[in-house]
Order: sequence, then C-alpha cells, then structure tokens
Amino acid sequence: MNAEAIVQKISSDIKDKIQEVSLAAPLRINVKVDREKLLAVLQYLKEQLGFTHLATISGVDLGESFEVIYHLASHLATVNVRILTPRSAPTIPSTVSIIPGAILYERELQDMFGLVVQNIPDPRPLLLADDWPAGEYPLRKDWHFNRPAEKIPGGK
Amino acid sequence: MEFKVSLGPQHPALHEPISLRMTLDGEIIRDADLKLGYNHRGIEKLAESRTFIQNLYLTERICGICSFSHQTCFTQGVEKLMELVPAKRGLYIRTLVCELERVHSHLLWLGVAGQEAGFESFFMYTWRDREVVMDILDTISGNRVHYSMNTFGGVRRDIDEIQRKHILDSLDLLKKRTEYYLNLAASEPTFLGRLSGVGKLSKEKAIALCAVGPTLRASGVPMDVRKDDPYAVYDEIPFEVCTADSCDVLGRAVVRVKELLQSYLIIEFLLKNLPAGPIKVKAPRKVKENEVFSRYEAPRGENVHYIKSNGSDKPERLKVRAPTLANYPATIAMLKDGFIADIPLIFAAIDPCICCAERLVQLDNPRSGESKVLTFSQLRQMANQRYKKIHFKNKETLWPF
Repeated sequence: MNAEAIVQKISSDIKDKIQEVSLAAPLRINVKVDREKLLAVLQYLKEQLGFTHLATISGVDLGESFEVIYHLASHLATVNVRILTPRSAPTIPSTVSIIPGAILYERELQDMFGLVVQNIPDPRPLLLADDWPAGEYPLRKDWHFNRPAEKIPGGK
Repeated sequence: MEFKVSLGPQHPALHEPISLRMTLDGEIIRDADLKLGYNHRGIEKLAESRTFIQNLYLTERICGICSFSHQTCFTQGVEKLMELVPAKRGLYIRTLVCELERVHSHLLWLGVAGQEAGFESFFMYTWRDREVVMDILDTISGNRVHYSMNTFGGVRRDIDEIQRKHILDSLDLLKKRTEYYLNLAASEPTFLGRLSGVGKLSKEKAIALCAVGPTLRASGVPMDVRKDDPYAVYDEIPFEVCTADSCDVLGRAVVRVKELLQSYLIIEFLLKNLPAGPIKVKAPRKVKENEVFSRYEAPRGENVHYIKSNGSDKPERLKVRAPTLANYPATIAMLKDGFIADIPLIFAAIDPCICCAERLVQLDNPRSGESKVLTFSQLRQMANQRYKKIHFKNKETLWPF
C-alpha cells in the first residue's frame, strides 16, 4: 500500500471523524481533526493501518491558538495528525492509553507550552528546573528570555 | 523492605547528567523514574531567533557524537522547504559522512559496553579502531567532532583521489577487526554471560513504547528510516537492516556490530560509485511559508526534526526529538525487575546521549527527592562565602586552599 492508497483509505473509512486529509509531500500525509475526535483517529490509524510508532508530538504557537501535531510513522509512510486548541483553554486529551510511549512528549508539551493534558498518568514537570516560576512557558511566542544583570563581585 | 536510591545526575557510572530514581527491593529494581533537564540549553527557542544558515551550525551543536545526524536532518528539511534539489556528488559525500559517523559512534558504544561489562581490553581495542575512522573524518572535513560538512544544496568540501584511497585502505583494516569482534561477541563465554538476558525488552513493549534504533531492532522489529523513508542516496544503495531477536543487551551489541559491517559495505559502494560534478547548488536565503517533517536514522535511532518556516530567513519553529528521548520509556521498562548492578549496562545499551535529548540552563541540587533545592543565586552566595574566607594575598595560601 502506498501513500496515495492510505490517503484514499483514510478519507473513505473515517470521513466523519476528520476535517481533511491530504498528501503534503511524498510519504507525508497530513490529517486535520477536531481535538474531541483525536483519540478515535489515533486508534483507527494504529489498529487498522499499523501506524504504531509515534515519532514525536510537536507544539506550535499560532497566537490565538496552539497547534499540536502527532507525527505517526510506519514502514509505509508518515502521518501528521494535527489538532488546534484555543489559547484561552489549552487542553488536549492524553494519548497514553493508546500509545504508551507518548508520555514524555506530553510532559514536555505541558512544560514548554502550558498545555493541559487531560487524564495524563504522570503530570509532573519533566524538563524545567524545580524552581522554575509557575505560569512561564518558554516556547510560547510571547515568552522572552531576559538575562539577569550580571553583578561582578568586587567589580565596577 | 523497599529502598529508594537515586543515581545521578552526577555519577561515575553515567557519563552525562541524568537523574535516575529507583525503588529497590533488596538488589532488585521494582520501579524506576527519570528526571531530565540537567543539560537543557533552550536550543529550540534559540533557533527561532537565528537565520537558517546560523541554525545549520547550531543544530550541529545539539550533540557531540551524532552532530552530523542533527545537521543533516535539519539540512534535508530546509532543502525541502526551499524546494532545492541538492547536487548528486554532494549527496554522496553527505551519505559517506553519515556512515562514517555511524561507524565511529558504534565503535564508541562497543567500547563503552565492554567497559560497563568489565571487559576493559575490549574497550581499549575498539577505541583504538575508532581513531582510524576519526582520522578519516579529520582528513575529509578537517574536524574530529563537528564536521560542518553540510550546507543547503550539498556539502562544503569535496574529496579527492588520495582521500578516497586512504578511506578504502583504512576500511580493510576496520572490516577485519569488526569481524573479529562479531566472532568475539558471539563466542566469548564471559562476555556472553554478562550480556545475555540483561535488560529484556519484548517486541510488543518495544513497539508500544515507541523505541527507536538498535534498541528496537534488537527486539526483532526491522524499522530503519534509511529503508522506510529513504533520504540522501539510500534508495540507490544496497544494504540490509540488521535485527536480532534476543531482546537483551547482547542483541543490541550484535545489531550494532552487524550494522558496522553494513556501514563498511555502504561506504565502499559510495566511494566506488562517486559521481562527478559539482558538490553543491546555490540556495536561496529566504524560505517561503511551509512546514516539513524530517526523519533521519542516526546511529542511536530515528532522529526527527519538525521545521516550520514563515517566509523570512528565520524558522518559525524548530522541534527536535533526539533518539535518546524516544528510548527513555523503553529503558524504564528494561530496568524494572532487573538487578541494581545491571543499571549501567542497561542504560549504556540504549547508547544514551543526554545532551541530545535535552535542549534551558538550570542548576539544582538533587541529592535526594525531598532535600532542599538550591537556586543559582544561592549557589553563587555559597561560592562567594567560601572564597571570602580564603586570603589570596597571603602567599602561604596554596592550592587546594
């Protein structure tokens, strides 16, 4: 089965669950879904089409909303499943129940973008320091790093 | 009775900072937990404020061992965004350096595995052989660690006839020695006894936990980005995906040695079929709005870069997922119900590269979970207090104070 056939199969099988499906580049399939239907789509891709490997989850700050992209791969092609979540209520469902290997990527998203992953089995911070101030999410576009003024002991 | 033991972030058995917290029952590990972030440098954020050309050299500095993996992964992605067709000879040379890097990384790993298993002479042998490939890389690129060979549209340095002959001659030597190591890994009873059955990871678990690279292939899953999603010139090269089905550290060692032999064949093929022509094509400075998902088979497994451009000369977003991060959930599964003495071996078996997996500067004192955490300013105060006590002007004060 090549990538075109997978696009055909996705668009005929789960037409009601997805917003759009397209072949963006050779071997790269883009699928856009509502965040409520994400789990159903991932379940379908895993069980029916064999996309068992989650390469990573990318977060992108689009201003008004966040885009979250699940990069799934099999030996046939790569599927990028994307959802949008509003900045005012940035919640996404946890995919750990379907793909156990997603846990670290979801924790990273919580740290870096301040997304709230619902039903995540392990919500602790992963990468940021223990004394990192609450409510600061470094990969959001409105976050800027301000280097504290260097004081040289005994200097000018 | 259960004990909680923390290992790291600074520990003689680990070569880079990571904190492992284990729940022990006697000598058996019942649960393991990882704390990351001791080496996080904020590269993803930094990349958003640098141009694509600057990022070429920034991504290279994500890691010191698989530097070329990150750079190539980024370059390939940006080339797709630029809709650029790289020069054929450039791609051959790029693939050649990819494979040379794999050879040096796998030889390094074999040495580390030998050392962790208590087979020190094996460590000395493989690291001696690693110098051969390091010399090759040095003659091609002028550098031993950060090769800086890639540029958008090809590579920056050509190779000549003398270098080609030098590489082919050195390969003969490496091939003979690697065959000896394969024989050794399969027959030396003490080595076998130490490695077999340690760090079990079943095929189902490896797939469910999204493991990558030799860790996944040693559990019998033939996944290799070079075959599944060919980049550079891998679709023209005949090679095999190496797997093992023993699902333990021994399997991971065997997979890596077999991959070494495959890499030599690939290098030979590349050098014998090196096309003539230019090594690069001219690349535009600005990149139009688009996104790309770039995959690359690094020595440690699948390396992933997601790049989004916004029409300027800087990326809108760069997401990096190094192979080590993908292998952490599998490592926890491997540690469970294992012995405490096997921790370094199991951990080394995924070939961890912590600086790869983390990208924000921070400092804390994680001696134990509940003990106090020092902030940078507190540490600084402590250091200042200590140094104030020392009278530098007094000439009798000698190091170490």
